[in-house]
Amino acid sequence: MEVPLERLTSPPDGCYGGRLMADYVGVTDGDLARAVAETAGQAEEAESELYRRFASRVRFYGLRHLRDEDAALDLAQQVMLLTIEKLRSGAIRDADQIGSFILGASRTMTIDLKRRERRRERLRDVFVVEPLASAPHDDTSLDLDRLGACLGQLPERERLVMLLTFYAERSARQVGDELTITEGNVRVIRHRAIGRLRACMTGTGGVQ
Amino acid sequence: MTPQCDAPVSDDDLLDYWIHAIDGTDAERIEEHLFGCAACSARFEAMASLGVGLVELVRRGRIGGIVTRSLLNRLQREGVHVRQYVLSPGERVPCAAFPDDDLVVLSLRADFAGSQAVTIALLGADDTLIDQVSDVAVGPKDIEILWATPGDIIRRMPSSRRRVTVRSQSTHPTVLAEYELDHTALPVTGSE
Repeated sequence: MEVPLERLTSPPDGCYGGRLMADYVGVTDGDLARAVAETAGQAEEAESELYRRFASRVRFYGLRHLRDEDAALDLAQQVMLLTIEKLRSGAIRDADQIGSFILGASRTMTIDLKRRERRRERLRDVFVVEPLASAPHDDTSLDLDRLGACLGQLPERERLVMLLTFYAERSARQVGDELTITEGNVRVIRHRAIGRLRACMTGTGGVQ
Repeated sequence: MTPQCDAPVSDDDLLDYWIHAIDGTDAERIEEHLFGCAACSARFEAMASLGVGLVELVRRGRIGGIVTRSLLNRLQREGVHVRQYVLSPGERVPCAAFPDDDLVVLSLRADFAGSQAVTIALLGADDTLIDQVSDVAVGPKDIEILWATPGDIIRRMPSSRRRVTVRSQSTHPTVLAEYELDHTALPVTGSE
């Protein structure tokens, strides 16, 4: 029986029907794609592993280009469904290029999503519709309380560089111009700050 | 176990890619690498997750400390409700955070000429130290320091008077300016 596409999600415990994710160590992306293509709908484990490897990459690609969590998640679902469908139907000739195929699909769908969003914005300009409710803010996978505490422990200069970098999306040169420090210094500060935040978030070290 | 990468993209380039400081063909080259490399993807996703979280914190007004004028302008443009109090040296201002205020910002004005860094202290009754920010860089052209506090924190503060001092950081620190925050004139809002 063919595996329904909507069942393709990452397993919560890293286990696919008794087979551990560790079983796929050393299995290339191309091998997985071939397994999916050659067994057309019968390779549930290989499909799930392919999804696990790439859905997150597509999501972050979407976040980078769309800056919208919901849109990025939709993109990941659509791209991965398309990929599995194409593999099952034999439409992807070179399985070793599966990463390139997924990237290409991500690019095409992102352009389409941006076009649709622009169209929606034009419509909103014509027909002003008040939102019925605010969107919930529970879509980030990070522990925001912890991140806030970790950020608060950073030295003032590092904290400000982090905000200008990630929130204002300023380059190292722009941050340097704003804070009257060199671009090289900004790169050192942000590298150190990211390391400290990571260590604080993973509990491998507090912010000193 | 994440496989090794023979030609890893540097953390610096991954960050520049994420914030669009790298675009065009250079960005495409990084994307092609990320879609073929689990190790670099994992590093990129960990870094980008921090970025996503930081942006979310900022949008909720859950940041404290020194901010720049450009950062403050951007926050306001993007809908963060900011209440700003402008203080000249020696001035006392009645201050409070209202229910909609995400962020309260003190614009501390002073003459910073001759100073490269200052320490800002928030003092309570009997000059007890409540909060302090050190190593705040200032330049000769600066006329203000913007000190942000989440509205939630201000709303939880008891009715009180607070003093803020700005001191130069040197072997002989001097007080550049003092201000008084009167948190008693308005009814306390929020949960308390």
